[in-house]
Amino acid sequence: MNEQMIKDDHHIILKLEGVCYTYEDGTEALKGVNLDIRRGEKLAVMGPNGSGKSTLFLALNGIRRPTGGLVLFNGVPVDYSRKGLLDLRKQIGVVFQDPDNQLFSASVTQEISFGVLNLGMPEEKARARVEKVIEDLNITPFRDKPTHFLSGGQKKRVAIADILVMDPEIILFDEPAAALDPKHARMIEEIIDQLNERGITVIVSTHDVNRALIWADRIALMDEGVIVSVGTPDEIFSDDEVLARTNLEKPTVLKIFDTLCEAGITDRNGSIPHTAEDLEKILKR
Amino acid sequence: MIIIDKLAYSSKLRYKNPAVKAAFAIGNLLICVGARSFIVSMIIFSVMAGLTVLSSKISITRYIKLMGIPFGFMVLSTVAIVVNITDKPMDLVSFPVGGKYLAVSWHSLTEGARLVAVAVASVSCLYFLTLTTAMLDILAVLRRLRCPRIMIELMMLIYRYIFVILDMAGAITTSQNCRLGNRNFITELRSIGQMLAVLLIRSLKKTSLLYEAMESRCYNGEIKVLNEYYPVELRDAAGVAIFLSLMLVIALLL
Repeated sequence: MNEQMIKDDHHIILKLEGVCYTYEDGTEALKGVNLDIRRGEKLAVMGPNGSGKSTLFLALNGIRRPTGGLVLFNGVPVDYSRKGLLDLRKQIGVVFQDPDNQLFSASVTQEISFGVLNLGMPEEKARARVEKVIEDLNITPFRDKPTHFLSGGQKKRVAIADILVMDPEIILFDEPAAALDPKHARMIEEIIDQLNERGITVIVSTHDVNRALIWADRIALMDEGVIVSVGTPDEIFSDDEVLARTNLEKPTVLKIFDTLCEAGITDRNGSIPHTAEDLEKILKR
Repeated sequence: MIIIDKLAYSSKLRYKNPAVKAAFAIGNLLICVGARSFIVSMIIFSVMAGLTVLSSKISITRYIKLMGIPFGFMVLSTVAIVVNITDKPMDLVSFPVGGKYLAVSWHSLTEGARLVAVAVASVSCLYFLTLTTAMLDILAVLRRLRCPRIMIELMMLIYRYIFVILDMAGAITTSQNCRLGNRNFITELRSIGQMLAVLLIRSLKKTSLLYEAMESRCYNGEIKVLNEYYPVELRDAAGVAIFLSLMLVIALLL
């Protein structure tokens, strides 16, 4: 390995090489996934329902052991022994789509403390960590309520706290804004951004093209168990062919931008707009 | 059940040490059942009902309604004790039926009243505990009492999932009713059957999803969690001890 390769490898926190996964009933959910996930990036995984996004997430933290191919974490193939899996799951947290499938306790404190105690941390230290996360995620106002009386957005925050308390390097969010109203969706998005600013690598599965365009560093498009395309939002959303294959609409801003270009009002020489404000600037020029 | 749960969380006594509350409730319950005295039962009932109503956001009518649920059973079972089938008429009321008498004596009547009093007072002790203490705090007491871990973990999961499954059941029933699934008795029965079948399948699916979520957080066979701890206040503990001794003395004197 030459120096350049070592340096490159250091940027890649997770690497998937031809990962396949077949369920017991014969369903091939993953058919050779190749993907490099870079340290500290914001990666959006998009694709139709049933394209394998959820299975991919569970393959990343070792819940689904690939039936073929390799997952490398920090350059080392994942060790599927009991100890190896515990180490992996400490570093890679998953926030599931439906909090009711994740929150097992009626008490917010109990719920959040579960993961951190599983790491074998002494109680006093664990309590301090739980308190810190409760404060960071603004859970204090409803911390004494039982989980079954929490709203969707509140449950989601507890679900994120569950994972954050374990201090992982990567957090996977399975459709974090699903079933939330716009205000709470925004709140969760802000939390995700804050986590990323702290240096946590964030992988989000979503169907929201407008959001992905603004938010993601890179987008991975999945279809029928393979990654069809990976690239920056600009690259992905200018490729009409893969968009059609994965049934994705172009983001509204880009559609308008295309129309403006065709009408000769602006051209593609400047930067590509991501938000409505970007479009406004272009038009005012 | 859900109302009781809600009331427990909003009780003024919620943050009192659960062990003290449990000692108060169970202690009085034992004295009540042990003494089998009308007077002791009535004292305990008044104190329990008073404390429960004053500390919770429960109205007296609702409390009476809650007491009414077990009361029906109590009355039914007491009838068997109060009413005797005898060869001879008895001192209070007697109805000749065939060659025998359906009869009530003063003795059997007071005996019945005493039994109802003891039962009502015992139920009020348990209501005090359930209406002032959150389920998880009761589990914390059981844990301190060295109750087997597996039982506590099961109770914890069952308690959480009662609400999740009730929500699912409610949603399925609503969607069935939207399509006239309750049009008449037969369709309603069929709807309930189908709802239960779907509920079972979904619960099983949820079980495996929950297990995966727990495994993702390094679950390794033991549910380790931090428990809330509410300190024992000396005043409460002393109050409970004094009241229990007082009841014990009264019970012994009577």
